[in-house]
Amino acid sequence: MTWTKKTKQTVILLAFAFPALLFYAVFVLAPAFGGVGYSMTDWNGLNPAYSRVGFANYVEALTDDSYFIDAILFTLKYVVCMVVLQNAIAIGLAVLIESRRRTKSLFRTIFFMPNMISLIIGGFMWLFIFTKVLPDIAAHTGLRFLDQSWIGDPTYSFIAILILSLWGGVGYLMVIYVAALQGIPSHLKESAAIDGANAWQSFRYVTLPMIYPAVTIGIFLTLNSSFKVFEAVYSLTGGGPGRATQVIALNIFEEAFANSNRYGYASAKAIILFLIVMLITVVQLRVMKNREVEA
Amino acid sequence: MILGKGGRAGSVVIVLFLGIAAVFTLFPIYMGLLNSLKTEGDMLNGILSIPSRLEFGNYADAFRKIHYWRSLGNTAEVAAIGLAGIILFASMAGYKLSRSTGRLSNAIFLVFVLSMLIPFHSIMITLTRISRSLDVQGSTWGLGFIYIGLGVSFAIFLYHGFVKSIPRELDEAAVIDGCGDFRLFFVVIFPLLLPVTATTAILNLLWMWNDFLLPLLMLTNSKSYTLLISTNMLFGEYGNNDWSAILASLVLAMLPVIVFYLLLQKYILHGIAEGAVKG
Repeated sequence: MTWTKKTKQTVILLAFAFPALLFYAVFVLAPAFGGVGYSMTDWNGLNPAYSRVGFANYVEALTDDSYFIDAILFTLKYVVCMVVLQNAIAIGLAVLIESRRRTKSLFRTIFFMPNMISLIIGGFMWLFIFTKVLPDIAAHTGLRFLDQSWIGDPTYSFIAILILSLWGGVGYLMVIYVAALQGIPSHLKESAAIDGANAWQSFRYVTLPMIYPAVTIGIFLTLNSSFKVFEAVYSLTGGGPGRATQVIALNIFEEAFANSNRYGYASAKAIILFLIVMLITVVQLRVMKNREVEA
Repeated sequence: MILGKGGRAGSVVIVLFLGIAAVFTLFPIYMGLLNSLKTEGDMLNGILSIPSRLEFGNYADAFRKIHYWRSLGNTAEVAAIGLAGIILFASMAGYKLSRSTGRLSNAIFLVFVLSMLIPFHSIMITLTRISRSLDVQGSTWGLGFIYIGLGVSFAIFLYHGFVKSIPRELDEAAVIDGCGDFRLFFVVIFPLLLPVTATTAILNLLWMWNDFLLPLLMLTNSKSYTLLISTNMLFGEYGNNDWSAILASLVLAMLPVIVFYLLLQKYILHGIAEGAVKG
């Protein structure tokens, strides 16, 4: 049998792509499609028999499950705070360390370090800070505002989660912003300085417009990771007190593996999370396209 | 310089501000390290103070409780299997998909790229079930295999882009010399992919090393626990009550990444910036 050149090329293409495709199909595609299927059943993970229930799980999750709705609202609150704070702090730090010459790399090393540490480890360390160290400092110095029920009071545990997340995440965005700042031609800032612009004007009218593409990336990276937040909450509060700080991913996790074992129902929630993340990405691609046209 | 006109006073303010931010960043790590070297009594006397004598007993305790060497070995094993598979399979696929122009090749590439949208939490439930029925749940090698599946698409994306910068003439010359497809790839192309291989290796190593939820779901046998899972289990057991041993185990658990970071910082920061912009 002789193969035409085209057939041969197709066979070679498949041979090169096959190993990757195999692992990918088994551990990503199959679970993804399987999840969609299970989301329309009442499968409970233990009982091999289950029946189809259509969209009942979705309806229940979005109308009847106050814990899930609260988790979505709490996650939204978290996302908004993270997008604003994480990017603002990262840009601030990037601008400030770029203005240094000798201490630049030292500060960059320090600020990026938490990013290397798992948020599980970081979360436990911060738990020690919030429950042991801060009350101790408050007792010895009279800084009374430090002595709060950081983990036990929902308002303060939200702040604690934000502090942990920012501590772990700011360095990553800072690296991106530093790379963007280094791409700005220095003559732009020089001519702004000659024209009499002060530091703020130079930042607002020269630096910021020049790093807009990086800001877009930074905002969407934060959006994407914040909607999926899990470790920071798991290690610090476990979703508590009660379920006051439960986020979407934790709610899915507990629904499936801790509380009820309602796999089918939890799958529906998992698909809802997927739809949220996909929506963000579609918006992101739109925005980025428009920006490119303008530029 | 961006903040050029501040002068000397401005400069002092900036350094002061950066210094405070640096203290804030290092504070939890420093407190963890400091108190991991104290006896319980020393800690009660003053959390902020320097220990009256260094107590290494906490570390001996932590070593035993989290089975440090075994956990470290398991983590390294998972990461090594995952990394080897991701680099080998993704470079092969990324190269060929980038070189082929047909509709089939575009479709395969699109399938890989689109999946990068799927959050892990959306597939974890069914993934757990599939892994159980394939008997890969519970073992370190099984976990490594799953990481290959989860990691290849982003790696293919990176390789696919990089291959475009390698001239096609190189492939053609090798083919004329009678080189087969696989030999061409492994002998000629793969060494040229080194920069993107380094980026892929760093990003994936960090991800697998610090990933928590997947091993939590997969490692049902305590003999195959990774560092993070052992630490988490220790915390679950003692909670808020035995901070000495827990802090020592936290320091032990983060030690490998910190060393790795301080040694390879330049490459890591480069890889991060590279990966973020392309992703």
